[in-house]
Amino acid sequence: MSDVHPSPAAVPVLRGERLSKRYPDGKVEALRGVSIHVNDGESVAVVGPSGCGKTSLLHLLGGLDKPTEGEVFFRGTPLAKLDGDRYRALEIGFVFQSFHLLATLSAVENIQVPMFETPRPPRERASRAEALIEQVGLAHRRNHRPNKLSVGERQRIAIARALANEPSVLLADEPTGNLDSRNQDEILKLLEDLRQSRGLTLVTVTHSPDVAAAAGRVVRMRDGLIVDS
Amino acid sequence: MRFITLILRNLFRRRTRTLLTAAGLAVAIAAVLDLVGVSWNFERAFSSLYQGKGIDLVVVRAGLTNQLSSTLDQKLGDRIRAIDGVAKVAPSLMDVVGFEQANLVSVLVNGWESGSLLFSGSRVLEGRAFRPDETNVAMLGRVLALNLGKKVGDTVDVAGEPLRVIGVYESDSLFETGAMIVPMASLQHMMGREGQVTGFVVQARSSTAADVSALRARIEAAISGVAATPARDQIDHDVQLQLVRVMTTATTALAVLLGSVGMLNTMVMTVFERTQEIGVLRALGWKRRRVLAMILGEAVCLGLLGAVMGMVLALIGMHGIMLIPTARGFIEPTVPPPVLAFGLIIGLALSVLGGVYPAVRAAALDPSEAIRHE
Repeated sequence: MSDVHPSPAAVPVLRGERLSKRYPDGKVEALRGVSIHVNDGESVAVVGPSGCGKTSLLHLLGGLDKPTEGEVFFRGTPLAKLDGDRYRALEIGFVFQSFHLLATLSAVENIQVPMFETPRPPRERASRAEALIEQVGLAHRRNHRPNKLSVGERQRIAIARALANEPSVLLADEPTGNLDSRNQDEILKLLEDLRQSRGLTLVTVTHSPDVAAAAGRVVRMRDGLIVDS
Repeated sequence: MRFITLILRNLFRRRTRTLLTAAGLAVAIAAVLDLVGVSWNFERAFSSLYQGKGIDLVVVRAGLTNQLSSTLDQKLGDRIRAIDGVAKVAPSLMDVVGFEQANLVSVLVNGWESGSLLFSGSRVLEGRAFRPDETNVAMLGRVLALNLGKKVGDTVDVAGEPLRVIGVYESDSLFETGAMIVPMASLQHMMGREGQVTGFVVQARSSTAADVSALRARIEAAISGVAATPARDQIDHDVQLQLVRVMTTATTALAVLLGSVGMLNTMVMTVFERTQEIGVLRALGWKRRRVLAMILGEAVCLGLLGAVMGMVLALIGMHGIMLIPTARGFIEPTVPPPVLAFGLIIGLALSVLGGVYPAVRAAALDPSEAIRHE
């Protein structure tokens, strides 16, 4: 992104400073002064019981939501100073537990969806989607709609979609939450391979000890606070 | 994949709902198009009644809203002819008769003089026109001949009088093609209106607006109790035409209101059902304006689908209207291209009226909240 400063080696790719999040009803305080940093190329797992604020933290880091207090920095620049849509489109890739693929589009068309926000012409979007679907090993399923794919295949397509605009950070919210152990292992391997081959930074929110074990660093949360990092 | 592909796929995600909404819009649009079409054709037929014949003024009894109820002395024709600026004058007696056996309740009978300027714009298709001394003969307009199943040599009963059909004609005006022409004297005798006419049509020596206006003033000054109306004003002030215009405007407004509520309902439902999906699209970096364009694009495509279906329905409906006996000879069974284009405009108007609010609402969704929406 043109308005992001060049990143010196010491500057974390993502940094949250004293992040608090209270939802509009004022009763739920999802985050209570959380600070976190994620370095370039790092794999971080955020774990903790349901309702501890993991997903809220992920949404703040991904610019999907704004903190009530505190600030998120991307490569040293406050998110508040960046164009949030461009940030999400070009720097961040989201992977969701329920995949959230568009039911009316084929696998390869789903991968093209984030590319609408880039100046790539349709032909280039299509060829890039073809390359990505091949990379996640589903070229033979390219024309299948999501309802014709297995859950493991759907998550592979969702990962390919997250990579459509070549982001530097992948934020995954329970990426294996709906998968059996075989598919979980395959997805974890795919994410790790992609991280290493592309130099991605990976932040994964999970309940799964296996997913946490696969990460380079584990951040534990409870009641809106980071209790161990 | 192009953006429009995504829009069209979304539209047909709920095929039944899309088609039912489009059908609802189509009915509303078809109703408007048929009414506008009838009004348009009616006005055109009325217009060619005078303008096609080069008539500048229509002289009838003053203070009447319905020309048919006018009665003037036939001898006034000579006084009008003598007024400066008048080129030609033709008397006309008009009445309405019914032919129950043919289910025609309202057929116009024109009593004209042989060789009258009123014959211009009419072409004899079969037989001949009547001669000055002829009585108890009739010329049938092509549509009337068709509706009555009569041809040259047959007899038609008009107000109890048997008239021999001597000609079938075609006119530039549909009103005349659905009507009949009989000798003036015959119609006066049949209707018990000897020496009386409905009015006179006048051709001025100069047809400029100023000269026609001056001639009008001279006629009204010279003959008390008559109104000399320019042909265009005659059309504009016609009560039936005004009624049709009011009905058309009211129907259009009602159709647009109902159609946009239908569209609004569908699009609001669509946005509500797809809240989570919209949140995901925003998470993937879609700008608000792209979400807005997607929802509005779906509304526009739906509106255009409704408009196209409405045009087809309007064309079918127009032919359906022609099955009504009273419509035959008065309504041309066509929807002119400009009226069809009006259907597209209505379709787009419905899209905008019904699509903007849901689109703005979708674009304004908070992505984080939308993703959590179940």
